[in-house]
Amino acid sequence: MSVLVATTALAQPIKVGLTGPFTGGSASMGVSMRDGVKLAVGEINKAGGIMGRQIALVERDDEAKNEIGVQIAQELINKEQVVATLGFINTGVALASQRFYQEAEIPVLNNVATGTAITGQFKAPNYIFRTAANDLIQSAMIANEAIKRQGFKAPAILADSTNYGQLGREDLVRALTGLGVKTVAEEKFNIGDTDMTAQLLRAKQAGADVILTYAIGPELAQIANGMAKLGWKVPMIGSWTLSMATFIDNAGANGEGAMMPQTFIQTGNTAKRKVFIESYQAAYKVDRIPSPVSAAQGYDSVFLLKAAIEQAKSTDGAKIRAALENLQTKVDGVVTVYDRPYSPADHEAISNNIPVFGVVKGGRVVVAHEDDIAGDKAVRVKPKN
Amino acid sequence: MTSEYSMQVLAQLLVSGIAVGMIYGVIAFGYQLTFATSKTLNFGQGEALMLGSLVGLSVVTITGYWIMLPIVLAFGMIQGAVVERLGVRQAIKTKSEAGWIMATIALGIIFKNLAENIWGRDALKFPSPLPEAPLSFMGVNVLPMEVVIVFGALAMMLLVEVFNRRSIYGKAVVATANDRDAAGLMGINTSLVITFSYALSSMTAAFAGVLVAPVTLTGASMGGALGLKAFAVAIIGGLSSGMGVVVGGLILGITETLTGYYLSTGYKDVPGLVLLLLVLSLKPSGLFGSATIKKV
Repeated sequence: MSVLVATTALAQPIKVGLTGPFTGGSASMGVSMRDGVKLAVGEINKAGGIMGRQIALVERDDEAKNEIGVQIAQELINKEQVVATLGFINTGVALASQRFYQEAEIPVLNNVATGTAITGQFKAPNYIFRTAANDLIQSAMIANEAIKRQGFKAPAILADSTNYGQLGREDLVRALTGLGVKTVAEEKFNIGDTDMTAQLLRAKQAGADVILTYAIGPELAQIANGMAKLGWKVPMIGSWTLSMATFIDNAGANGEGAMMPQTFIQTGNTAKRKVFIESYQAAYKVDRIPSPVSAAQGYDSVFLLKAAIEQAKSTDGAKIRAALENLQTKVDGVVTVYDRPYSPADHEAISNNIPVFGVVKGGRVVVAHEDDIAGDKAVRVKPKN
Repeated sequence: MTSEYSMQVLAQLLVSGIAVGMIYGVIAFGYQLTFATSKTLNFGQGEALMLGSLVGLSVVTITGYWIMLPIVLAFGMIQGAVVERLGVRQAIKTKSEAGWIMATIALGIIFKNLAENIWGRDALKFPSPLPEAPLSFMGVNVLPMEVVIVFGALAMMLLVEVFNRRSIYGKAVVATANDRDAAGLMGINTSLVITFSYALSSMTAAFAGVLVAPVTLTGASMGGALGLKAFAVAIIGGLSSGMGVVVGGLILGITETLTGYYLSTGYKDVPGLVLLLLVLSLKPSGLFGSATIKKV
């Protein structure tokens, strides 16, 4: 009996929380993230785990609901006693839930949620980290792409009435103002709206030459379909949600050409990315990864956590946080090479030079400008802190 | 802008408003059907629409569009009868004032959860039986499917009205609607008539579901927003008039698109709700409704 106890104590797994919406409107992102994480955990466990201990994921579906996210946070912290949590797709859920982790001094790696406020919610010592491109980065990229790179002069913004849409719209307006451009129209719609005639006619009437979007899949599809109906076609450039399967599939031909910032595109332009894409396809029996960005960011977040635990030589939350903020080993991920990605003051692993523009082509997201990833730009690395 | 251009914009807005309004109207028509016979409503009407459309989506891949229609209609009738048996009959029997409200809402939630488990929660594309390229009349564009929605909805409502007025079964429905007790005394099985009206109501909702889905997308959550809008339409138009819900739907649809364009897209829903409040305070039975006095 005592021998048995001793061996189980030795091989006691490291419990890591994994939370996101695995059902519901943002499920394609949540499920891809989860599958990316599981892929990484499988590889690590097969190679012997972390410090000889296996990783045990505790998966919970937050259904994109704030109140469920809060319950899960309490369960993972108090009952499951996880050493860290990976996940969050929805900014609202992240903001509502991570307070509990902060108080319990357990690190959170946000691997998909983009709300700018997420990493700034708490003062140092801050336990909240991110491996996604925040909205400040994305809105600046969208403005730059539309105005500087493509030379549009009269942008119209179409954003949904949620926090995601309206905060994104504010960020976009600020970025455009910074470039000396004023929007010709800023239109709003609700989740579930099916007719975009009024919004599109206002944009058209105002002489818009490009439509910038901050919304999610189904309504973005209604915008593209509405433009086709009115026989008015201007380019759509918007936040990364234009890569959602619910946009691409529901807009069909009308969604072709839409552009959005992406930290990861399913092209396999480096050996590491190729292996990742192939193992994802093999493990989950899909050709098109539902949300490649979420899958890749989820995958990388596990390796960042592994590096931090190994450096800390401990699963103590405070020590993992300190290790993340001062990571000595380079982590070779599929999104980028993480070379000191965080510091005590900077909890954003993705800097504005990392994402590139993707474009919808043939029902998939491909690289918009091939020269963005040509040669040594294939792996874009964050400048030194 | 030339005045010709602004006329064209107005016409475009009206056309889109009519298409949206008919979607609301055809759903609201279902509320009216059950209210007429039993003075009760199916608050899960939006969910009946959603179920019809998702069942249609599953069937259409096997059978094609036209054979799918009668299957969906039959499904709608069964679903409506189930709602009446489980949720409404007992409440009518015991003359409960609120029982059927809670029961139909509860059934609606159950149907929604069921659909989420079967079809997931993503918005899904419904194949359009017609080309998706717009038709253009003098600079006003309309999708072929939108034309079908408007005429399909009108045709269906007309058929139901003709059925009610001409056939012996329909006359039983009308008799029950006019005076349930008297109809019962004349030998009409009024509880069967009420079951039938629920079946008919869900059938129209299921039909509306497959009709609008190619334009609105489908999915487990489609019933919520549309069902609520349709409820507003039923209040504005009047629950006792089939004509009223059509006009009510058009009023709401057109107001939404016009407000969105001429005022602000952020306030698109406000005038419709103001109208709802006005109607409730000035003519509670609806614009086309006849005042009914419920004797207690």
